[in-house]
Amino acid sequence: MHHAEHVMGTVVSIDLADNLPEDELRAMIDDVCGWLHEVDRRFSTYREDSEVSRLRRREINPADCSTDMRHVLEACADLWRETDGYFDAYAAGPLDPSGYVKGWSVEIASARLAEAGSVNHCVNAGGDIRARGLSGTGAPWRVGIRHPWEADKLSWVLTVSDRAVATSGTYERGDHVFNPRTGGPARGLRSVTVVGPDLALADAYATAALAMGEPGIAWLAKLAADGYDSALVTDDGRAFSSAGLPAAV
Amino acid sequence: MRRSTAAAIGTLTGAALIVGVRLSVSAPVVPSAAPPVVDLANSGQDADPEPAASATKKPSSKNPTTAPAEENTDDEADASGEAGGSGLKNGIFKGSAAKNPYGAIQVSIKISGGKITAADATYPVTGDSATINPPAIASLKQGTLKAQSADVDAVSGATFTSESYVKSLQAAIDQATA
Repeated sequence: MHHAEHVMGTVVSIDLADNLPEDELRAMIDDVCGWLHEVDRRFSTYREDSEVSRLRRREINPADCSTDMRHVLEACADLWRETDGYFDAYAAGPLDPSGYVKGWSVEIASARLAEAGSVNHCVNAGGDIRARGLSGTGAPWRVGIRHPWEADKLSWVLTVSDRAVATSGTYERGDHVFNPRTGGPARGLRSVTVVGPDLALADAYATAALAMGEPGIAWLAKLAADGYDSALVTDDGRAFSSAGLPAAV
Repeated sequence: MRRSTAAAIGTLTGAALIVGVRLSVSAPVVPSAAPPVVDLANSGQDADPEPAASATKKPSSKNPTTAPAEENTDDEADASGEAGGSGLKNGIFKGSAAKNPYGAIQVSIKISGGKITAADATYPVTGDSATINPPAIASLKQGTLKAQSADVDAVSGATFTSESYVKSLQAAIDQATA
């Protein structure tokens, strides 16, 4: 069963490949969509009444926040350290954990699906993907990575099971990723894809590497030891990938 | 009066000199701060050579692992002359430092029993170089950038907004499978 939901400022595509009764699958999709809208309400920086907005206005203290919010704040702090400051929830000034929240919320959505009985599914939130099990064809999920210049072409095709795929690029919304060291827009890399066990981390790593520019190539190479493979394209069109990238043949 | 004036002038001059000397001393140190750190450490050891030497040579002069490590290649080649079957001399040998834009890299190998038993490379550990060089030794592979069309279940790309989603490959997939 396939469903596309407009939420969190993007479109989330949910693909359930389990051989289960339709009403069960429908209930699972409803549950996931409910969760994603709840995340949007609580973590959106665009909503005045969200928990993030109230935290920004200092109406609440971090200590009084929900368990989820405390987790998000802690994870952002950990990632800031782990990425040498290149993943920065405060890059634009006030707190903006969106770079973590999207991947995290889809990771949770996938876990909820698995718990409800869907062990074969693929959730794609605006290009950030969490896949489990096998697709409807009985083979691993085939995930294409968008070509950084030709929107209707793919630069890689991956076959994934129980993996997350996240891509950050400068091609879609222009200079929206900043290098916190220079204060200027990220330069050097056009597109960075990270494949690994956790979508929240994969997404954050891809964003951090993009902000680093070319030194990000070497930084990504170190992540392979932790199970995070990568593929990237530089501004001048060179392509790089790690040895363990699950590329389709 | 004149004495006190002279004393005051003298004090001020002295203070000015001290400040001046401090400035002139500290100023040249700053630009060359990074490289001399090593030299200073070495000269510190040189000032107290005998304990260091005896400490390192203590195990045995035939043990090549410790003492020769800090000497240059020529000295070592002479110092440990045992030739193995392969004609390689035992000891630790360092290549000349190769400079690249990120700093100097020096490779060293250890030979015992005529075989290379260890190899190591030093690379800069400060500043940007530290973040670039170590992983560059095991980096990503460069390949050709493909532009392919293929049947896929999902498309990963930089975050698209609701508006740009309409034009995306993923939207086409969603429509085809809806």
